[in-house]
Amino acid sequence: MMMISKPTTMVVCLKGAAAGQQQNRNMATLKQISMRLKSVTNIQKITQSMKMVSAAKYARAERELRQARPYGEGVKAFYEKSGATEAVDDGNNNKLIVAITSDRGLCGAVHTNVAKTIRNELGAEAVESPQSKVFCVGDKSRALLQRLYAQNIAVVANEVGRKPPTFLDASKVANELIQLDFNSGKIVYNRFKTVVSYQTEEVPLLSAKTMLAAPKLQLYDSIDQGVMESYQEFTVAALLYYTMKESACSEQSSRMTAMDNASKNAAEMIGKLTLTFNRTRQAVITRELIEIISGAAALE
Amino acid sequence: MSYWRAAGLNYVNYSNIAAKVVRRVLKPELQANASKRDETHVKFTPWVKGKPSKPGQ
Repeated sequence: MMMISKPTTMVVCLKGAAAGQQQNRNMATLKQISMRLKSVTNIQKITQSMKMVSAAKYARAERELRQARPYGEGVKAFYEKSGATEAVDDGNNNKLIVAITSDRGLCGAVHTNVAKTIRNELGAEAVESPQSKVFCVGDKSRALLQRLYAQNIAVVANEVGRKPPTFLDASKVANELIQLDFNSGKIVYNRFKTVVSYQTEEVPLLSAKTMLAAPKLQLYDSIDQGVMESYQEFTVAALLYYTMKESACSEQSSRMTAMDNASKNAAEMIGKLTLTFNRTRQAVITRELIEIISGAAALE
Repeated sequence: MSYWRAAGLNYVNYSNIAAKVVRRVLKPELQANASKRDETHVKFTPWVKGKPSKPGQ
């Protein structure tokens, strides 16, 4: 009797230990899955509410953009009609690039696109003696450019993007900009096209001298140096205002899309995790049942 | 040369001051809305040689 039962108990013991371990591990994964599930659900809630917030902000930004567009279009029309494009060479080769971004992330590739355009522009330029200066509007462009082109950064403006940009914001930036010594410049920004698309574009910033030397300036009446100086200062502010509005609008719409995608992905993940969770739970139950049944069978 | 330029202002400053004054004399019901356009939070940090220098330096 003893001789026969001894190996059997051994086997049962071993089996029990192995099953216990496995069961433990499965219990742990079950718990892990449920924790994971909970966190993904929380993330989905966050992305959904962020989407709602940016949808509201987008609606406002788009409304305001419509009012701001004439500012940009007016200046662009002047550039076009007067033919003022080429910077007059006056020995000052300093170029200025303005990066219009904001402080906020989680909005797809809007900021990266601006930074990429500028990076391509700066390219292989001598890092030590930079001729092109970069004016970063928004912390994101600074963060993206400072690793490789820290020498090129002239001024960083932050606290942009929490609230919709006002003309006063733009004129403060313009004042900082005018103080910098540059002969030609450009603003890199994201032009808003539709809710789901934007395009990274650039608009030239011309100095008063360049504007005065425009080939078709006689189209315009009563322009003297003083008027042109004032107008140039205004164009800087107006262009900044316009590009900031365009950028803000593209950013919000892009954030909306990004958060929508994130919510969708989270929903997908929740589905998969729920399936795994249920399967694991069922497996645990089945195994326990088998154990009980086989244990009972062994006892008979 | 215009008088405001002689006072050391540029056109942007000049028109902003003008705008501020206009906002201030608006009727109260319009002023509430207009005063929202009167605020700005942008901060500037000049960079020298690849490092941010203290603002106001």
